[in-house]
Amino acid sequence: MALAEPVLCKRIPTAPWGDPTDRKLVTYEQFVATGGYEGLKKARALEPKAVIEVIKASELRGRGGAGFPAGVKWGFLPPEDGKRRYLTVNADESEPGTFKDHMLLDYDPHLLLEGIAICMHACRLDTAYIYIRGEYHLQAQKLINAVKEAYANGIFGPTSLLGQINGRDPACVVHRGAGAYICGEETGLLESLEGKRGWPRIKPPFPAVAGAFGRPTIINNVETLAICGPIMDKGAEWFKTMGKGRAAGVPATVPASFGPKLFGISGHVNRPGVYEENLGIKISELVNTYGGGIRGGKKLKAIVPGGISMGVLSADQYDTELDFDIGRKAACLGLGTAGVIIMDEDTDMVPVARNIARFFAHESCGQCTPCREGTGWMYKMLTRIEAGDGTTRDLDLLLELSGSMGAMPGTTICGLADGANWAIRTILNKFWGDFEKRVRKERYVSLQVASAAK
Amino acid sequence: MAWIMKNSATAPVARRAEPYLDEATKALLEADVIPRYPTRRASTLPVLHAVQDRHGWLPTQAIEEIADFLGLKASEVLDTASFYEMYWLQPKGKYLIMVCESISCELMGHEKLMEKLHHKLGVEVGETTKDGKFTLMHAECLGACDTAPCALINETLHEHLTPDNIDALLDKLP
Ligand SMILES: Cc1cc2nc3c(=O)[nH]c(=O)nc-3n(C[C@H](O)[C@H](O)[C@H](O)COP(=O)(O)O)c2cc1C
Ligand code: SF4
Ligand code: FES
Repeated sequence: MALAEPVLCKRIPTAPWGDPTDRKLVTYEQFVATGGYEGLKKARALEPKAVIEVIKASELRGRGGAGFPAGVKWGFLPPEDGKRRYLTVNADESEPGTFKDHMLLDYDPHLLLEGIAICMHACRLDTAYIYIRGEYHLQAQKLINAVKEAYANGIFGPTSLLGQINGRDPACVVHRGAGAYICGEETGLLESLEGKRGWPRIKPPFPAVAGAFGRPTIINNVETLAICGPIMDKGAEWFKTMGKGRAAGVPATVPASFGPKLFGISGHVNRPGVYEENLGIKISELVNTYGGGIRGGKKLKAIVPGGISMGVLSADQYDTELDFDIGRKAACLGLGTAGVIIMDEDTDMVPVARNIARFFAHESCGQCTPCREGTGWMYKMLTRIEAGDGTTRDLDLLLELSGSMGAMPGTTICGLADGANWAIRTILNKFWGDFEKRVRKERYVSLQVASAAK
Repeated sequence: MAWIMKNSATAPVARRAEPYLDEATKALLEADVIPRYPTRRASTLPVLHAVQDRHGWLPTQAIEEIADFLGLKASEVLDTASFYEMYWLQPKGKYLIMVCESISCELMGHEKLMEKLHHKLGVEVGETTKDGKFTLMHAECLGACDTAPCALINETLHEHLTPDNIDALLDKLP
């Protein structure tokens, strides 16, 4: 079932509804004139707890990577004690293959600000920090201007329609990062916000209990908050008419995949870009209908379903549906950021693996030995294999290494190591031939060299 | 990242009489930035950005002045500053070219771009041209994979790059 009309891209021309070259920054006035901040007004008319119930009922799941139900997260906060509580907005978007938040910030920043105000009202949070990655210079400036507009028009500040929260005027602050992927991890983000290096914290305590400055804190992705305005405006049931529900017999406690989602398509396609569709669209359909098919009429070789941390799919998995259940269905880590990268038949997976290993080795914060050393050695071994100096033992070692590091095997503090683990492991498993070809040839040569030396 | 060691222990500290964090900037930060956060330390990143914007990089003396301003130890500010890619603890060129080398950009031809830049500028990644005009760096995914390959030159993102158009682009920079 295709999306009937754009929701997140309502004001951002996107194929098939509009021409991306017509995109312009939506001002406060234009946003309001097209139904913006209606969701906030409706939320404001409700008791805070009732707003959380609406988000819970919509079964909205986080769009930042982990897919945790947003309403459930909001419900974790302890009762108010009159002291400060925070919202931190995750606009650190640094996962290779991901550029969806970039588009929202570029053209429709008020959609995010509306969601922020809704969350502050619902969860009784007095200050929102938007943590935006340092490289998004232009987007940070646009955001700062939009926040000014919002202050001037009674969304935040002393004239806020939210009234005082925890005895303070609701505040919204843009906080720029300075170039570190790990600050996208929620507790790394908090450390960075506090002015320290972005070292992820050991959990528990979870941020909802002790987050920024030791106080209860909600952390949500840009896209997660951006969809809250439309949900409050049109209702949870409307939201659930889109996307994918549970299969028959699956208990209601299992979260489903409702709603529209932004998908980024990059790599070897004719029309790379951000597109909005319902969750549950097949990768092949997304690439053909929106991405314009594979470049040069080539055949498909590999797919990254949602940012490189999620691992890689092979060509025979082209018809897999993009929803939160993709991990179980396609033996990858999950939907991640829904940043789809397409690689055509001419792609050699050895340099792809080397590139990905380098990314993780470079971005590991270095706190946990398996992650710091594991990613570093994976990169070294893959560089060696690419140069033609690898042995079959290297491949076994790579598999062993990648299978043993991560928060899920329980050896590291955060999920960065899991990303490295899944990426390298799935590439090796699904494209073993590419690697075996390289090492076999070289082993033959090195044996020759060895016997000549005797 | 932080554990990739940067030389700071043995480097002599150059000093000058004029402060890097002058009174006017301090007043501005005190009014605009400090009140946003419940602790002074939380202003570390914005203050580092502000000082680097004014001077192009962060000399040790500037780190010490920032520490005094925020009521921290210089080592605490240095610990933070050295962790992030965007803070420069040594001088850089007038133009900082950060070419994305992550996966979508590699798939779309980042290598040819780098060949061109090495050839044109005569420097390796991490180096600055002799005239101090360009510093060449790699970046990880810049969040513009649909327009790969891409690069940041100072604060501006350049998309759909080719060896030819980046050549023309650099020639035009004053
Ligand atoms: C290594 C790592 C990097 C992450 N980077 C980001 C990021 O750039 N943006 C983001 O929204 N979430 C990122 N996340 C996920 C966050 O930790 C967190 O789950 C998310 O911001 C929660 O928001 P959501 O529930 O709205 O998705 C990252 C997680 C890990 C482990
Ligand atoms: S898993 Fe890696 S990135 Fe995460 S805290 Fe440990 S060392 Fe840092
Ligand atoms: S991979 Fe280069 S911008 Fe994303």
